[in-house]
Amino acid sequence: MNGRKLAYYPGCPSAGTAVDQDMSTRAVFEKLGIELAEVEDWNCCGAAEAENPILVYALNARTLAIAEKDGLDIVTPCSICYYNLERSNMALKEDESLRAKMKEIDPSLDYRGGIKARHVLDVFINEIGMDELKSKIVKKVNIKVAPYYGCYIGRPPTTAFDDPDDPILMDQLIELIGGECVDFSYMKTKCCGGPLMMTRADIAFEMAKNVLEAAKRAGADCIALACPLCGMMLDAKQPDIEKALNIEIGMPVIYITQLLGLALGIDSKKLGLDKAAVDTKEIVGKVV
Amino acid sequence: MPIKTWELDPNFRNEIMNEPGGEHLASCFQCSTCTLGCPITEIVPSYNPRKIIQMSLLGMREEVLSNPDLWICLICQTCTARCPQDVVVSDVLGAIRRIAEKEEEAGKLKIESPRPLFDKAFLHQLEKYGRLYDIGLAKEYYPKKEGSFIKGMRAMMKDYKDFGMRMFKKGKMGPKAILPEKIKRTGEVKKIFEKIGD
Repeated sequence: MNGRKLAYYPGCPSAGTAVDQDMSTRAVFEKLGIELAEVEDWNCCGAAEAENPILVYALNARTLAIAEKDGLDIVTPCSICYYNLERSNMALKEDESLRAKMKEIDPSLDYRGGIKARHVLDVFINEIGMDELKSKIVKKVNIKVAPYYGCYIGRPPTTAFDDPDDPILMDQLIELIGGECVDFSYMKTKCCGGPLMMTRADIAFEMAKNVLEAAKRAGADCIALACPLCGMMLDAKQPDIEKALNIEIGMPVIYITQLLGLALGIDSKKLGLDKAAVDTKEIVGKVV
Repeated sequence: MPIKTWELDPNFRNEIMNEPGGEHLASCFQCSTCTLGCPITEIVPSYNPRKIIQMSLLGMREEVLSNPDLWICLICQTCTARCPQDVVVSDVLGAIRRIAEKEEEAGKLKIESPRPLFDKAFLHQLEKYGRLYDIGLAKEYYPKKEGSFIKGMRAMMKDYKDFGMRMFKKGKMGPKAILPEKIKRTGEVKKIFEKIGD
């Protein structure tokens, strides 16, 4: 991290279903005194739908090249965006012929490998660090949390920044802010089903239900997560899952940036906590 | 059913390995770690990426490309993380999916899964706007999936009426999400799709 400033990549869901994740990310970094400069004219990373790696590299080379002009590392709150940005960065950094190929497609893809992409969770723990975070915490988030990591934090090994089987960074953050992590190890890194939502909703719903019910069984007050697709599946779609599978869940789902924001004393509305499909008032009420 | 050796395509493995992402196919030694850890197998017990890879190595081109299981991979990377041979299973399956899509475009294969239609509709939004436009995606995908505009709109309403209202009430589908967020230099992104395709 170059001083106290990072390039910010909000990702496409920031304009819609994950507007709360975007709001809380901006609010938390502001509170921590780290400037986020949104990457000028950034484009979509290709998500899970761009399957051709060359297409992924090209899409992300453009965004990386724009951020590289200011010499700033990119931070993003989205796990899929992080994966695509960083795997493109790594591929382009080590392969000169690939860089040449990109430049040939369009001069705007002329990325030289001078920066890195980071996930917010990685920046919180490994860059800002527990000591600084601790010094800025003003409230106790007195809740039981099921820390849910999903796919791209501990996998694949090339871009992972946490353990693939039992990741701990979110657990550490939750404990730091006064929360208690419930036993959720076996479910932490299971996929939420999101990538199949539009083509095999039956499978996607089943997978999301498994995560939600495991959190409930473990006695969690809420699930904490760090990916807007997981957020859409587990929160925004939760009433649809309940209806389709004829079950009752009622499990609040909160972005890790929102939880950290509460501990930093940021107003819950500014963190977008009123925008969740499953009510979060009870959680906010337990912040003292 | 026994394999008919005369129906095998010995070049199929090369075809996959020549696709970006398919390079490491031949490193597979059939340990089945990919399949044992796969979360899809808990819901669809017959799902077996190890088998898809072995059939590919043997040259069972037709059977592999027409296998409906190709389209239920989550790309969750569990198999990739655990593979002791660095096969990058998710990327290999992606390479096979792209070959299947090309076969369909050439009129030689009919893919039952709507997933290629979804992926294409998604990428078309990027091509046009540089970013994902959810409503544009749904308006392209549903009619194609259902076979007509009317049927598509009906299916979309069924899937998304409650969801849309919920998002609107919570302020997640405000004016910002109703109109596409178009980047300024869309020409640069269009160039990418022109040169690489989708």
